[in-house]
Amino acid sequence: MSEMLRAPAEVKYAEELDYLESVDTDPKPFSWRLSPRMVRLFVLGSERADGLDREIPQKWFGDRTFVERSIVTLASDRGLLLIGDPGTGKSWLAELLAAAVCRNSTLVVQGTAGTTEDHIKYSWNVSMVIARGQSRESMIPSPIMTAMEQGTVGRFEELTRSTSDVQDALISILSEKYVSIPELDHDNIVFARPGFSIIATANSRDRGVNDLSSALKRRFNFVRIPVVTNKRSEAEIVRFRTEELLRRHQIALDVPPTLLDILLQSFADLRAAASAATSDDEKLESALSTAEQIGVLEDAILHSQFFGDRTLRAATLAGSLVGSLARRSPEDLAILNKYLHGVVEPRAKQDSGWEGFLDGGRQAIAALS
Amino acid sequence: MTAPTTAGPFGALREQLTAAATAFAGSSQAVSDILAGIVDDVDRALGEELEIFPVCHHSPASALAMLRRLRAKQPRVIYLELCEDLQPLLGELRNCRLPVALQAFASQLDGFPADWGPLSVVAPITEASAEYQAIAYALETPGVELVLVDRSTDHVFQWLPRPPGTADDAPTGGDVEVAAPAGEEAALHGDAVGVELGDLRPRFAELEAYLLHHGKVRHWSEWWDQYVEQPLADADHDTYRQVMVLIGSLFRRLRPAGAERNDRDEDRERYMWTRMRQHLAASGADPADCLYVCGAFHAASRVEQFGLRADAPFEIGPRTGTRWHHGLIPSSHSAIEAQFGLAPGSVSIAAATWSKAVARTGLTPYRLEGQRGGRTRAGGRRRATPAAAPAAAVEDRLSGYLARPPAARGLDEAELRGWCVDIVRLARRNGYLASTADAIAVFETAILLAGLRNRARPTPYDFADAAVTCIEKDVVPGRRDVRRLCEILFGGDRVGQVGYEALPPLARDVHDRLAPLGLDLEKRTIQRALVDLRASPELVPCSDLLWRLRHLLPRDAVRPIMGERRLGQRSIQESWDLALGRSQRALIELGYEGVTVEQVLEQRLRRAVRGPDVTASVALEAVEDAVRLLDGPRLVEELGARAVELLAAERGVDDAPEVLRRIRRLLAHHRATGPLPAWCGAFVTTGYAHYCTLLPTAFLDGESGVRQVGAMLGFLFGMESLALSLGCDRSQLELAVAQSHPEAPAKVALLWAARHQLGLLPLAELRERCAALLANPLVVPAFPQYLSGFVQALEPVPALAPFVVEAMSSAFARLPDPVLLPWLPTLITTLREHGAELVPLLVREAGRTFPGSLPALDAWVPPWSAAAAPLPVAPAVASGPVTALLASHPESVDAVAALLGCAGGWRATDGGAAVPAGLTALLAAHPETTAALAALLETGSCRGED
Repeated sequence: MSEMLRAPAEVKYAEELDYLESVDTDPKPFSWRLSPRMVRLFVLGSERADGLDREIPQKWFGDRTFVERSIVTLASDRGLLLIGDPGTGKSWLAELLAAAVCRNSTLVVQGTAGTTEDHIKYSWNVSMVIARGQSRESMIPSPIMTAMEQGTVGRFEELTRSTSDVQDALISILSEKYVSIPELDHDNIVFARPGFSIIATANSRDRGVNDLSSALKRRFNFVRIPVVTNKRSEAEIVRFRTEELLRRHQIALDVPPTLLDILLQSFADLRAAASAATSDDEKLESALSTAEQIGVLEDAILHSQFFGDRTLRAATLAGSLVGSLARRSPEDLAILNKYLHGVVEPRAKQDSGWEGFLDGGRQAIAALS
Repeated sequence: MTAPTTAGPFGALREQLTAAATAFAGSSQAVSDILAGIVDDVDRALGEELEIFPVCHHSPASALAMLRRLRAKQPRVIYLELCEDLQPLLGELRNCRLPVALQAFASQLDGFPADWGPLSVVAPITEASAEYQAIAYALETPGVELVLVDRSTDHVFQWLPRPPGTADDAPTGGDVEVAAPAGEEAALHGDAVGVELGDLRPRFAELEAYLLHHGKVRHWSEWWDQYVEQPLADADHDTYRQVMVLIGSLFRRLRPAGAERNDRDEDRERYMWTRMRQHLAASGADPADCLYVCGAFHAASRVEQFGLRADAPFEIGPRTGTRWHHGLIPSSHSAIEAQFGLAPGSVSIAAATWSKAVARTGLTPYRLEGQRGGRTRAGGRRRATPAAAPAAAVEDRLSGYLARPPAARGLDEAELRGWCVDIVRLARRNGYLASTADAIAVFETAILLAGLRNRARPTPYDFADAAVTCIEKDVVPGRRDVRRLCEILFGGDRVGQVGYEALPPLARDVHDRLAPLGLDLEKRTIQRALVDLRASPELVPCSDLLWRLRHLLPRDAVRPIMGERRLGQRSIQESWDLALGRSQRALIELGYEGVTVEQVLEQRLRRAVRGPDVTASVALEAVEDAVRLLDGPRLVEELGARAVELLAAERGVDDAPEVLRRIRRLLAHHRATGPLPAWCGAFVTTGYAHYCTLLPTAFLDGESGVRQVGAMLGFLFGMESLALSLGCDRSQLELAVAQSHPEAPAKVALLWAARHQLGLLPLAELRERCAALLANPLVVPAFPQYLSGFVQALEPVPALAPFVVEAMSSAFARLPDPVLLPWLPTLITTLREHGAELVPLLVREAGRTFPGSLPALDAWVPPWSAAAAPLPVAPAVASGPVTALLASHPESVDAVAALLGCAGGWRATDGGAAVPAGLTALLAAHPETTAALAALLETGSCRGED
């Protein structure tokens, strides 16, 4: 699958999933391809105690309980709503779960302000309707309806970005588990097959934009995914995702562990500064999530690959950091400037690893201001 | 230490483990040493002549096994791993509602660094614990002796390498824990050091993390529950004992070598075995009739003093001279969890498991007679206990335990259903939109989660996860989260209470003396007391006591809502919020300091004035408290004398405003109530001399502020008459003022004011100086500081108020706008900063000076400018016969004038002013009024003549 820029999880990990399916002896709910325990193992990686012949790497990093609660929700009658700050890995977890449960993570509806009920239920192929009239053939089922027909997992990204009436179209799908098509005279109900479920994600920063109705809330189990603050797991995540990106770009470049530490430490510092800030002007606009870190690292890697000497340096990293985080011209730059001179400078005097970072940061700020 | 043998009951297991170790690790050495060592430990502990009963804290399985063993064996002597000096407290447990904590407390240290104090040790006791079963059995069964054998509380601190409360003293789950309280209930233990019987937890974080990770659980309590607690719940005595020693030994062998804590643990084991041997030798008891209850960790001990046959000596060091007080304080499940790092809710879950196990097995637990709270009645003693079973030979039960998966008890559907319904009801009551559909979802999710986690039945922890998943949708600040609701569901936090009989004398005395209020002060709710001192004067002592308690206890324990007590002022009605039930610990700890509240208060006040950093104002505060709360002239005299000493020894004047405020109040009080006490006189004379001495320095010194100097002058001028009457000399003050040469503008102004008060600087000159300042553009920016000095001078020289108003007004009048406007904020901040309490005086004076209405403003002339114009000489008014009389007999007036020193002579009158013509015409035209008046006067005079 080398012609895909980004393969979906079920394609990327097809071999692993095949293997797990072959060794899975536990009972499987509905039409699931793997048992819940194997799903957990696929997402969280295997251990020696699991007694498998091969190692399954960990793909999502976070508290085990969240994964367990998510899997169990999928096996139950309710939909799963993953809620958390941007960049906490909600969509990635949703994709992995869908891939493990039904080998299809592409039945996705993206919630936007322009999402309509048609995107959730069905729409019509107008030319076919004119040619042959309304029939099942001229109908375009939405990804959710396809998931119902196949008994698989449908995904709804950024649920709270879509308007309330659109959200509420999900209520009947989640409780009655069918969609009726009043335009047709016969064969006008699509029933969900066993195994159908919905994984939705919502951004906790969008709270209040389009709040879920209580009726819809009742049909979802909420799993709240916190921002990773544990330095060790964060390092794991960054390393894991960066390796993937490097592979995607086919770049052979080493990320020295010291640079990774610098990146993690700088984000930790900036987060601490943001939580200590009293007004919005005193904190960076960015959420400083793990995804943002990966973005910074990716940017630095690409920069060194194409414009540098193919070695990742602290200065490049600092340049990317400033470039990615400085979004508002006076405020963000001022904060970064304060950070560089107040925190990094004293540190650079003791630890030579930070010297390059300091220089790069200074240059980047000078270039921007 | 016995050598490992291949024979004995555990030979087969030992061989099997050694073989496994060889297979896994490649070499048999390291791993097999550990594995075989564990078996050796079990072998040795079980082979010991004195029966060792290993326990774990807050483990219902331990409690159950203990109950069974006590019934079967009926020992005559029980040795318990608890600080030996806590023994006398055990009998008092029956007067309490558990959980309570045994406490040893010392505030006066001898032999420990002074900054460690006060030292406090708590040992919480819950009902669902093995130690409570042992204690209840021993105290309720005649002829059974209970002996506490662990090191005394004094040794706890002797063996502490660092002061209690410092970081990294005790790693997670140690047997000595320093509390990190969170909520109100969790803070019940204060900052005491906790000791606990039967601590069993991995001794290094990696091992615990490993076990948790592979056990797929989140918290240690959960791991324990799943892998030890449940399998052992119905185990027989032998299996229980062997497994517990095995776990103890495992954690003992897998621990960081060379840690200080290991030495402490081993020293404790040496201590306990030595004590037990001593007791056995002294009492001659048969070891077969004895039971040694200790943590499983200590059961697997390998110290050379282990066992009754060992004769290795161990020197028990003497206690320090510290005097320990012992008592019971209330505890709570959350306090225990917070202190010993257990999962929130785990102690409550253990309590619930215990009552369920008791109901299931049909056993009657031992209970102290008269124990309050709880559900079951005491019955352990009444029921005919079966004859003691003979000890059986040790058999290997470990192989079976290790080889078999834990016997899964099936799903208790009814119980789970009950939980689901209850949690939904609870959630609804707490503002969640939960419905029956949620109950169903929780039920399903809990079973699925348990299945995913390899459990046959959902544990309370699985259930809590399921409930959070299905019910919690939003985080609303201030609302209880679902996990907390689950804790409440599983029994919630139980808060213990120390009964009246078990309270120290002081606390009992408080309860007795507050009895006339007619409130149940043992309740944990806030009680409102209404005290009408006029209608029921018998409540006056209650009110007195409440004010004393207010001073001694934490702020929210005794809170006045209405009424106050200040010097010489008492309210007629008072209303109090009393939370003594909730602040039992504070009251009990007060009881360690004395027998009555008054005694403690007296001690505290004495101590307050004896500290190293005490100042005169603190001493005066103590005096004030003594007058206000105790009214003991002797104590007041003593504290006052100390205040005089302190004042004389003071080198700075920072406290002067405070001293002035307090001594003024005290003087006013004493003057009003009787003769002035001797100390007051001494304080005033000392203060007069003291402040005179310091005045020149304070004026010059940049460190002392204007307020301070103002207060000093206030003292000197305000107390002057008293000081002079007591023999001070005014020239001292005059000299001090003459020596003062301040540089700061504010202080210069203050000095001017002082000189004015002393009559050395007339008002006119003062006015001139101010005018000069205002006229000089170089000095104008500093004028606000002068003004600030004048404002401060209102304290010592209140008569200066009109002048200050004048100075301020002329500043406003004469300063040009470019100077005035930037100046205004400075003026306001200066006033606020330096003269907040004097501003009202200033405003009042300004109100008197300035006109009250707008129209009057036009005609208004400032009094100071008006005074500047020469007074017009009014012509002498002819006022009829009086003037005529005085003019005709001038001698007496001349004499009075000479006496008063008035010069000047008589002015001629214009000899009877002409009556206006109009008036005469009017009276002539209407003579009725005049005639009537004349008639009236005549009648009046006639009556007078009558």
